[in-house]
Amino acid sequence: MATANWRTINIDLLDPDSPSNFSLTSLLPTLAPVSLPEVQNLSSQIRQLLRGGDTEGALRGALENAPYGGDAAAKDLHLQTVSEILQSIKQSEMSPLLTRIYTSPGGPETLDVLMKYLYKGMSAPPSAPGSAGGSRSLTPQATGFSQIGGRVGGGEGGGQAMSVLLSWHEKLVEVAGMGCIVRVMTDRRTV
Amino acid sequence: MASPEVHHLFHHPIADHSFSADRKALAVARDNNVELYTRSGSKFTLQDELKGHDKTVTSVDIAPTTGRIVTCSQDRNAYVWEPSPTGWKPTLVLLRINRAATFVRWSPSEAKFAVGSGARVIAVCYFESENDWWVSKHLKKPIRSTITALAWHPNSVLLAAGSTDAHARVFSSFIKGVDERPEGSVWGERLPFGTVCGEYLNNEAGWVHGVAFSPSGNALAFTAHDSSVTVVYPSGPDEPPRAVVSLSLQVLPFLSLIWNGESEIIAAGYDCEAYRLQGNEQGWQIVGSMESKGRPGLGEMREESALNMFRQMDLKGKSKDDTQLKTVHQNTIATIRAYDVAGGNVKKFSSSGVDGRVVIWST
Repeated sequence: MATANWRTINIDLLDPDSPSNFSLTSLLPTLAPVSLPEVQNLSSQIRQLLRGGDTEGALRGALENAPYGGDAAAKDLHLQTVSEILQSIKQSEMSPLLTRIYTSPGGPETLDVLMKYLYKGMSAPPSAPGSAGGSRSLTPQATGFSQIGGRVGGGEGGGQAMSVLLSWHEKLVEVAGMGCIVRVMTDRRTV
Repeated sequence: MASPEVHHLFHHPIADHSFSADRKALAVARDNNVELYTRSGSKFTLQDELKGHDKTVTSVDIAPTTGRIVTCSQDRNAYVWEPSPTGWKPTLVLLRINRAATFVRWSPSEAKFAVGSGARVIAVCYFESENDWWVSKHLKKPIRSTITALAWHPNSVLLAAGSTDAHARVFSSFIKGVDERPEGSVWGERLPFGTVCGEYLNNEAGWVHGVAFSPSGNALAFTAHDSSVTVVYPSGPDEPPRAVVSLSLQVLPFLSLIWNGESEIIAAGYDCEAYRLQGNEQGWQIVGSMESKGRPGLGEMREESALNMFRQMDLKGKSKDDTQLKTVHQNTIATIRAYDVAGGNVKKFSSSGVDGRVVIWST
């Protein structure tokens, strides 16, 4: 043992009570599992609303039913639905829409979810609207943000989508404040 | 609203501060030492230093009636300091923890104190007269991470703890021979040591920064890193709480909070200013900042002569000095404490933070 570098031993692994030795999920609220067909069903309903011109209803429906418990494909499909809605809303309508959502009951939580989708949208490579997701390469981490590497494949088409997300981000921070960003970074329920 | 009394003690973070009962002495945790200031006129002057810890002191508390000071530090020790003719005499407390001590508070009875730590335990310490030292009992289960904040119930038995595992918990710290049997309350009837009377978690699961019992002890508020304040109204032992009101805020997270009566909370944190929140079981909302806008001094600073403006532009490339925050505190507020309490209502409270200021506010 004389040669062992004791400074690099991870003593936490040797302690049965240590946080390294228990599952973090036992501390967190449980999430109901969501299957891919359910998300597909939801996204077609939302598209219907969108075609009917009810952008606010579509956005609310999409954000209030975020598939926290879904797998990567389900989450990706929902991201696509949300970004489609975001792109269909005019810049001048953003602030009034966000204020309306914020002041309604449960509004702050809904906007937190929107912020999650904005960050996820910025981290993921954009794809052409309409092509059902699932085949796209995913960001390697489930955190949903901070993945600057994931944007490499974006290409020239990404600039447009990114500017939409950025202007949404600006308007959203005006309404929901910095607290919204902190909550997205803290929350373990990822979209 | 009278303007706040600002004491800029030094250019160094203040981890914690505590006033003596007569408000003439102030203990401030600075690096490895605790500095004792006494009031002379309108200022506080350095009187004494409590040296003994060899790592950063994380928390300090002065017992109001006995005048004892308890300190705890990242060196895993806590000391109880008592005045003696030759100066302050420290007594080591046997905490039996293997990680940093993070937070310490005297119980209202002053017979014991609780130390939170990174070792996933709370050490409840009391004096054992036959051995002539302070010993501790550990509250262990079900804490899964570092304790960041503690608060005592007025009955000195119940203890609220906030932790980085995102839970706020209420424990019984009843110690036979030290405590009187408490009367039954909404938190429980029989309370042997270690009873978990409540365990609360936010949806966003942010780690908890601060906890506080309401003056009656029948409600618990905690603030977490998801920029929220949650108020829990328990209904009785082994029953779900009557109401849990969670408020998501637009501002940056709060680090510390105190109650002002049963329907008002004052909280402060990363936003460098204190806010007032009001509400009841039906709901809570943020009312506004405690800062009085348009303070004297703020306007004077902005008033600049043309000569000065051009000089600034020449020297710094800009005409306005925007390195100053508009708030009294120039950095995160780490601790707020009640300063002057009358009948459960806070008349004045004090705040300290990373900018080395201690500020006394009137509500």
